[in-house]
Amino acid sequence: MTAAELSNAPRGDADRDGDTGVLLEHLFRHQVGRVVAHLARVLGPARLDLAEESMQEAMLRALQTWPYQGIPENPGAWLLRVAHNSAIDSLRRSRFLDQNSGAVLAELTRATSIAPGAPSFEEQLRDDELRMIFMCCHPEIARDARVALSLKIVGGFSVREIASAFLADDAAIAQRLVRAKRQLRERRVTLDLPGAAELDQRLDSALETIYFIFNEGYAAHEGEDLIRRDLCFEALRLGRLLAASSIATPRVHALVAVIALQAARLPARIDEAGDLILLEDQDRARWDQRLIAEGFHHFDLSIAGEQVSEYHVQAAIAATYTQAANLRSIDWPAILDLYDQLLAISGASPVVALNRAVAVAKVHGPAEGLAEIETLRGDPQLRDYYLLLAVRGHLLQELGRPEEAAVCWSAALECRCSEPERRFLRRKLAGI
Amino acid sequence: MPQYMLALYDDPSGWKKLSPEEMQKSLEKYMAWGKRPYVVTGKRLAADLGRVLRSTNGKPRATDGPYSETKEVMGGIYLIEAKDYDEAVERTLDHPHLEHGTIELRQLYS
Repeated sequence: MTAAELSNAPRGDADRDGDTGVLLEHLFRHQVGRVVAHLARVLGPARLDLAEESMQEAMLRALQTWPYQGIPENPGAWLLRVAHNSAIDSLRRSRFLDQNSGAVLAELTRATSIAPGAPSFEEQLRDDELRMIFMCCHPEIARDARVALSLKIVGGFSVREIASAFLADDAAIAQRLVRAKRQLRERRVTLDLPGAAELDQRLDSALETIYFIFNEGYAAHEGEDLIRRDLCFEALRLGRLLAASSIATPRVHALVAVIALQAARLPARIDEAGDLILLEDQDRARWDQRLIAEGFHHFDLSIAGEQVSEYHVQAAIAATYTQAANLRSIDWPAILDLYDQLLAISGASPVVALNRAVAVAKVHGPAEGLAEIETLRGDPQLRDYYLLLAVRGHLLQELGRPEEAAVCWSAALECRCSEPERRFLRRKLAGI
Repeated sequence: MPQYMLALYDDPSGWKKLSPEEMQKSLEKYMAWGKRPYVVTGKRLAADLGRVLRSTNGKPRATDGPYSETKEVMGGIYLIEAKDYDEAVERTLDHPHLEHGTIELRQLYS
């Protein structure tokens, strides 16, 4: 992970490093969200496809000209301007000019006169991006579709990248996007920011989408590592956008806190050989201190409200792990208490219950932990979950039942899991 | 030092398949290659197909391009310095354009 990725990358003139002429990491991907959001607001959400095509055109133009002419002074503004002009050209060329095209063209032409880089314009762009997040995360759209839309339109991921992150094929993701856009049109979802009455519900839907994206990236299933890590940082970026806006609530800060605190541990999860390292064995020096600081900053802001959300409790759990003086001194009774709270809030999520069982084992001993696990084994969501089997195996081993532990780990190897996880299980098996 | 011209041909529709991230990566590779000390200059050709001029029955006429029937069009040119063809080839072999299209290499008479 690089510093550029972790910092709240400043926009505008800092899109490139002035001395070396090197572009900011993920500049294109991040500019997609801003430019498409901006154009879609001016063009109207019904012309979302035109907004996307115009940005695509601008990036192609950059690809054709920058290698010969050098990177422009402000690459982000350049992309916006070229996409803008491309949209105007397309509208003018279009043979199906409808009655409002004239008004749109006038608005587009007016918008070009605004100076990119001016504070008011930057503010407008941030506002546009926020509107787009809310549109893509509209509660009337299925979660899978919300996730795909957000990654494609706000995150600048391609269909192929989304497919590889979710182990789906390109055609399925493309289909999902087409359906999602049709739903947006049919339900006349606008780019208006939610009003006070619906803000809670709309915000919940956005937070759920962002947290889902993060967890998909964070859970080390199979799939390409790089793209999964990108999902984590895209979720963090989206969370920061919401947290920096005027509608940030304590819940938003709680979500950013969980994501930042967990993401801080990403560099320590895998060793140099690509093998999995358990939390208790992680080298804390490899935790990202900037992300930890950011996490605690948002954690402090999250305490302001009366409500305790799922994200508050998750953030408190992550904070408890992070605060332990060393990993042998984790306050397990506190963690167990938090998992009890979490179960009460989030309903009986089986994955949360599994994590709680681990805490039970730490506090009350492996036999009690195992008893908790046994009650979860019948859950359809956990039946083929490698982690349940891995944990069960671990507890059985601690209880001096190595043969049964081996059966568990062998069964875990049959489940969906990543290569590092597979090697971890094989090491455990070999150790018996 | 003799100069060589690189004519870069590609099928422009191929670029549309790249993701924004891939486009940026590709762009950065092109830019890095263009900064090498033996690169004299580089020019991008306009995205249209140009005109073809020829005489028919002794009468010169211009028609719209492309010159050939292939989907690949010349998108840009570079001039590089190299002592001979072998060196020119060697200096061109890792050009990032080869991930997308073909390069025609020709020596210029000095």
